[in-house]
Amino acid sequence: MPESLPDFSSPVRLKYVKLGYQYLVNHFLAFLLIPIIASVALHLFRLGPDTIVTTVKSIELDLVQILCSTFVIIFILTVYFMSKPRSVYLVDYTCYRPPITCRVPFSTFMEHSRMILKDNPKSVEFQMRILERSGLGEETSLPPAIHYIPPKPNMEAARGEAEMVIFSAIDNLFEKTGLKPKDIDVLIVNCSLFSPTPSLSAMVVNKYKLRSNIKSFNLSGMGCSAGIISIDLARDLLQVLPNSNALVISTEIITPNYYQGNERAMLLPNCLFRMGAAALLLSNKRRERSRAKYKLVHVVRTHKGSDDRAYRCVYEQEDPQGLVGINLSKDLMVIAAEALKSNITTMGPLVLPASEQLLFLFTLIGRKIFNPKWKPYIPDFKLAFEHFCIHAGGRAVIDELQKNLQLSPEHVEASRMTLHRFGNTSSSSLWYEMNYIESKGRMKKGDRVWQIAFGSGFKCNSAVWKCNRNINTPVDGPWSDCIDWYPVHIPEVVKL
Amino acid sequence: MTGSIQHQVNVHSRLTVVSSNPTEPMGQIYALTPTDHTMSSHTVHIIYYYRTRPFSNEGRYAMDLDNVRVSLSELLSKYPRMIGRLVRDENGNWEVKYNDAGVRMFKANVATTVDEWLRVADESDERNLTVWEDMPDGDPTSWSPFQIQVSEFVGGGLAIGISFSHMLADPTSGVLFYKSWTDAERGDPTGRHPPIFTLPPLNNRPPPTSTENTPITVKYLQKHSKQPPISSPKMATYTFKFSNTVIKKGLSKIADKCPEATPFDYLTAVFWMQVIKLKTLVADSLTHSISLCVDARKHFDVPIPMKFFGNALTFSQLCLENEAIARDNGLAELVQSVHRHVNGIKKEDIDSMIDWLESLAKGLSGVYPKGVQMYGPELTFVSLEHLIMNPKDDSNDEFQSLVYEAKFRNNEKPMHVSYRIGKAEGAGLIIVAPVPEGGLARTVTVTLPAEEAVKLCEDPVIMGMAPTMVLSGRGME
Repeated sequence: MPESLPDFSSPVRLKYVKLGYQYLVNHFLAFLLIPIIASVALHLFRLGPDTIVTTVKSIELDLVQILCSTFVIIFILTVYFMSKPRSVYLVDYTCYRPPITCRVPFSTFMEHSRMILKDNPKSVEFQMRILERSGLGEETSLPPAIHYIPPKPNMEAARGEAEMVIFSAIDNLFEKTGLKPKDIDVLIVNCSLFSPTPSLSAMVVNKYKLRSNIKSFNLSGMGCSAGIISIDLARDLLQVLPNSNALVISTEIITPNYYQGNERAMLLPNCLFRMGAAALLLSNKRRERSRAKYKLVHVVRTHKGSDDRAYRCVYEQEDPQGLVGINLSKDLMVIAAEALKSNITTMGPLVLPASEQLLFLFTLIGRKIFNPKWKPYIPDFKLAFEHFCIHAGGRAVIDELQKNLQLSPEHVEASRMTLHRFGNTSSSSLWYEMNYIESKGRMKKGDRVWQIAFGSGFKCNSAVWKCNRNINTPVDGPWSDCIDWYPVHIPEVVKL
Repeated sequence: MTGSIQHQVNVHSRLTVVSSNPTEPMGQIYALTPTDHTMSSHTVHIIYYYRTRPFSNEGRYAMDLDNVRVSLSELLSKYPRMIGRLVRDENGNWEVKYNDAGVRMFKANVATTVDEWLRVADESDERNLTVWEDMPDGDPTSWSPFQIQVSEFVGGGLAIGISFSHMLADPTSGVLFYKSWTDAERGDPTGRHPPIFTLPPLNNRPPPTSTENTPITVKYLQKHSKQPPISSPKMATYTFKFSNTVIKKGLSKIADKCPEATPFDYLTAVFWMQVIKLKTLVADSLTHSISLCVDARKHFDVPIPMKFFGNALTFSQLCLENEAIARDNGLAELVQSVHRHVNGIKKEDIDSMIDWLESLAKGLSGVYPKGVQMYGPELTFVSLEHLIMNPKDDSNDEFQSLVYEAKFRNNEKPMHVSYRIGKAEGAGLIIVAPVPEGGLARTVTVTLPAEEAVKLCEDPVIMGMAPTMVLSGRGME
């Protein structure tokens, strides 16, 4: 049983009542069937073996009947196995670790800010305040072009960054899994803000000389939750393609999107977004089953774009000077909370144990019929999952989700530490968090992981994974050189 | 001829190089010593010229991510003083805050080849190869006290110029840091001994001797800190390269009077004599004096003196009678006096200097005296003899200098190294430095008022020593 927070407000007895209730409801079938089987077995024993034999002999069956029943059984079994969705496994994944020359200490960031925005001290002040409270550490990285004063974000530099991060991640993945380029059947690359022609997926095909009949996709413009969208797409494709491998690359290319103006709402992403990438190998091949790390259980996508406020929440636009940047609206947190609620409503029935669902149902009925003033019951997702990977979108996002889902600091530790060490790497941050949990030795076989990502649109996407095998430390990955220093205490405000 | 290449250095980029690991603990503030404060009006510029680039040219981020910058970033983690920023305390004194902000790097292209440059460029052209940026409006918050410029020449040559405020370090520190960088890039383990930034406090010393015997170092400071700032005529710089044989010959000539003379002693004497003749104002006076700037590291009470990063210079004055110089063997006399003087600087002199500055500061209610003109008001000679190491085995006679052992991965020695001191104005500055080939040969960089400098280049005695002119804007010589 996962650890639950000590509930000091209610007496200890209530806790045991709750535990007993959960056991009862979750294993209801067992509680129902065991007595019935026991009584039938008892009854049979009393009858004695001879009576059983004569009863069996008295059933007259001829050959046709036997054959028909056998065929019916075989037919039902075949239909069942054919219509079962193929299991999709995550064989392994890698995350990109930037070189030390790309590191961005706070003081360097502020200095550059002061030099570039020298006519706008208020904007500089704003950036400093954001950085102080951001939850980022001193070791996050920006691409080389941004280290220049002023930054040099031309297309060549953007392609250079893309090649650097994507190719490094893929090379590492090939090494880790022994995958050969010719064995890749599906290639999906998601990068929201940089979409050159030919696409980044074409760039990968070109570099690694992938097959000409590869199914390649390039998802752009879909925000920070595009990683899960890519996984969803890969899963759907792997239902149609038997015995296939899918390579999914999630990244965000920072170089062309570094805002160079002085509108405050648009300077925010500069403080938070950092360089990163992840490469995943998904497969439905039977032989990968034994060595795969995770099995994909559910993907739930929620799109709130039909609401105008949600649609305009993260909006790319030009500022009065004509410089392009991303405008984050002030009610981002509210919209995120609503999107999360939507997502949970769909996710809940899929993952929650029956006990929680019943409680939720009763409270819902109670509120509708008896007393609207009853507090809505927030299901305890800690019963459904051992680990949580919350997109490290910013400190506020993690705080909000921790509050809404009633998670303990240890549950959100992976997210907070990833934000501290790598910053907001957009769609790949979920994989850095996953790697943190593995590096800490906390991932065991059978553990269920919930990845939640938010993105422009406004979307809230979740993926549920089940750990397929024990993962032993030390884990080779972006945390391998620093995992022992973590977790660190992140102060509320860092004095700059 | 010189005008045509003045516009040929194009500084096209500016960026910041950060250390590989964050400074721990972050944000600590260290006060600068009174010695540092006296040097604050000067800047140091050192340029290393290479014939070939030490890093590859391939790949989109060749310059950005290749090993040269990686090794620099790793080295900077050990020098938090270089990547910090200057701040003022409540008394207005300077301090360094270890805030991990990084050093500024500039990249430039030069439209000519490095050989052509060394032949034809002059001092004002060379200014373009390092950064001469003052603190903007006296506000040090975003100003990087250390700056590196990497200039690429046509045909593959490279110049790496480091410049820094003299308040934080002296030229020797710059040289040693640079050597650590090249060693690290080559893969040599230099990390065993980290640099030392602060000296142990001078608490258990014998009380200072009576005031009659004011040490020469203190006398120098007393004189110069009272002088008003000099408005000097325009200065010009020429660099003379003297070969091994010439120096050997010269030393043997005066060997009977002064057998242990170093090339510095000899060259100081030679140039002193000739400059006296040129300086119309003082040629007839009874005494002549020069300032000598000698490294003080060997007197420090630390385990590895050469690892000290900061200001470790002694300035002192040497006076001689006119008659002594005018005699027949005047040169040998001069050499001997210089040699005796240089070797006569004791630890107590340095300690007294620090004492005197501290007491001066106490008198001014805690405010350290402002920077004074340390180089230049009097003809100043700077010795870099301490940078010449004896070889480990005595198999050959060659002395290799720390300066020219600064080789990157491609094992190529610098072709030439230039030293410049900013705001060294007044009577002049002469720096005696090693040469790539090693041995007794020396490069002498002379900064004098323009007219005198030109006359010096035509001086028969100097020319009789067959110098090669480098970076002096002269044509085919």
